[in-house]
Amino acid sequence: MAHLVAVDPQIHKEYYVYPERTESAGAELHLIPVVPAEVAHVACQMPVLLTKNELTGQFVLAAMTGFEPKQNLFWQDGRWQGLYVPLQLQRQPFFLGKNEGSGADYAVCLDIQNPAVGQGAVPEGAQALFSSTGAETEYYRHVKQLLASILQGEAQVQQLTELLLSMALIQPVSLDITFADQSSTRLQGLYSIDQQKLATLDPAHLVLLHQQGLLAVVYTMLSSMSQIYGLIDRKNQQLARL
Amino acid sequence: MLDADKAADRTVQTVVIVGGGNAGWLTAGRIAAKHKAKAGGIKVVLVESPSVAPIGVGEGTWPTMRSTLIALGISETDFIRECDATFKQGAKFARWVTGAEEDFYYHPLVLPQGFSKADMAAYWLQAQSKPELAPQFSSFSNDLCYQEAICERSLAPKTIRHPEFGAVANYAYHLDSGKFGLFLQKHCTEQLGVEHILDDVTAIQSAANGDIAAVQTKNSGLIAGDLFVDCTGFSSLLLGKHYQVPFKACDDILFIDTALAVQVPYPNEDAPIASHTISTAQDAGWIWDIGLQHRRGVGYVYSSKHCSEEEARATLARYVGPAISDLKVRKIPIVSGHRTEFWKNNCVAVGLSAGFLEPLEASALVLVEMSAQMISEQLPANRQVMDIVAKRFNQTFLYRWDKIIDFLKLHYILSKRSDTAFWRDNRKPETIPQSLQELMQLWSHRAPCDLDFTSNNEVFPAASYQYVLFGMGFKPNLSAQQYLLDNWDFATQQFQQNRKMIEQAVSTLPTHRELISKIRHYGFSRI
Repeated sequence: MAHLVAVDPQIHKEYYVYPERTESAGAELHLIPVVPAEVAHVACQMPVLLTKNELTGQFVLAAMTGFEPKQNLFWQDGRWQGLYVPLQLQRQPFFLGKNEGSGADYAVCLDIQNPAVGQGAVPEGAQALFSSTGAETEYYRHVKQLLASILQGEAQVQQLTELLLSMALIQPVSLDITFADQSSTRLQGLYSIDQQKLATLDPAHLVLLHQQGLLAVVYTMLSSMSQIYGLIDRKNQQLARL
Repeated sequence: MLDADKAADRTVQTVVIVGGGNAGWLTAGRIAAKHKAKAGGIKVVLVESPSVAPIGVGEGTWPTMRSTLIALGISETDFIRECDATFKQGAKFARWVTGAEEDFYYHPLVLPQGFSKADMAAYWLQAQSKPELAPQFSSFSNDLCYQEAICERSLAPKTIRHPEFGAVANYAYHLDSGKFGLFLQKHCTEQLGVEHILDDVTAIQSAANGDIAAVQTKNSGLIAGDLFVDCTGFSSLLLGKHYQVPFKACDDILFIDTALAVQVPYPNEDAPIASHTISTAQDAGWIWDIGLQHRRGVGYVYSSKHCSEEEARATLARYVGPAISDLKVRKIPIVSGHRTEFWKNNCVAVGLSAGFLEPLEASALVLVEMSAQMISEQLPANRQVMDIVAKRFNQTFLYRWDKIIDFLKLHYILSKRSDTAFWRDNRKPETIPQSLQELMQLWSHRAPCDLDFTSNNEVFPAASYQYVLFGMGFKPNLSAQQYLLDNWDFATQQFQQNRKMIEQAVSTLPTHRELISKIRHYGFSRI
């Protein structure tokens, strides 16, 4: 069970994190939320699609790493096999929490039950959050930067999906896939860009997307669809190893 | 002669709807949306009395309301938020068969499993008498439809991830009728280009051929039009009062003539919301119970010939419980029946002005939707062809009213209750329409099938008749029709499939209350 606490320089002075071990948070994710700024990196290996948040029904941008829940084809032999690690995995085991009290809107939280977290003398390969003088370490500042990028990115995702919806550019992905062992699956709950509508989009809308810095994202999402084949290949290789 | 020809050639350019309320606005909206009133197509004017409050009954819809909302270009999220609307997945009929506490059956909105491929009712009936075939059987609606299980758990028919109007299980709505009227008014006037005049109609000006040329209003002068839609409620100002089209009562078949309605608040804001209409049989009628977001709508509809108002109030109080002492009970007279014609000259009646039946199967709003759809889709090009459209409209809707009357009566004749005169009188042969008696004879040897209902204008599909017949314990004698039972493998698969669907549905669907609060908070996506 995760146990989130707001990071406090006094209380968490002696805490450290193994950055290499944090990617395991994604071991069982078949869809990993991503933000527009990292879409180009993610799209090198994975399809970038839209899916709906389970709890809110709102569209989110996600990298597809498997064909069914709990299946991450980029997680093998106990480690992340992708070239790029999405921000949502990099920032583990830190989270942004809404600040209930006054002052700043958000507080940095740490999952102190996470196996990558420890307390005491900093072992090799681990990174302390605070120096002996109580100042934030470079590592911790980097984490805070990551969290800020995600926060900013989530606002951009919302802007992106609102624009796409208003331009009717989103369409459900419907794809039946048969793997090497003849088992098959039907992709459900995934959405992508309607290529035909994009091709005939009126200039004013194109300019709007461009000005918001989202046109490249839209085209990258579209071209990343071909990464489905890479994903099928990974699945078939996995089947061959069994 | 020349003038008459001119009148005949005159194209239909202006439709005047007299009366607001749901009937008026739904008709105005359908016509305005289809005929592009806003872009300068047909002109749609709705004149509504500022002093007459809409009657505001009819809180239950059919799944057709989804297509109606789509046709009007309405967002489902907006509709649910603004009309206090909830989901309706059919009706639960309690105490209709024996009157016992545990006596109930469902008329869900999802077709029976395997319905389109085989007569599953025959297999189900056979299995009842041969327990070795199917040890786990419970009831027709539960063995062949997964929706009853959803309703019994107060679950929603969809999740927040479904798009607007999409679903796991077919659904309709419960809505606050008053809010719905205002919501439609806003949409029709702001989005669809319907012209809204708040004024009293004081007189009707006739043309030489007997048509209505214009209606005279108190403050806005004459309002002329080519087609007039009478949505004036029970007063039926145009069709009834002006044209004197006779009213055909059907109180000899359906005895309900009074409603006592009350709005019951929930005990707390997290209280479960029923996902179906609950209709509970009483001594002289039945009580409807409809769960909206912020309150329930409850009412006792009864036959005043079989029960005094005092008794009826006591029955309603027993059902609602102590909370009723603080609530206002409204008495509404019900005149069951319909006009013998609905479209006369250039005037067509929609809604209560056309007729009314007890709300047992939520027929009021669906008849409004069907009328509005037919008027908008078959809107006569000119006065000359209007008589033909009128004739077809009348044939279609007389058929529909008859079918609804038959279907409502079916609920009463299958009851085994004999505890009160109301239930005994309902089964007297002279109160049962000939058409229904014939169907019952057919069905004494087999289940209802689609071939029994071949008109394009059917209201209830064969599946609905099956749910009511077999829900109420009707048993045809299949001995002469053994060919109906030639594929048990298929049938067994269907029963298994249904159990699987139940499992899947109850493990994935949110509670009705939870979905409603998510819709209020986040809303559905369009896709």
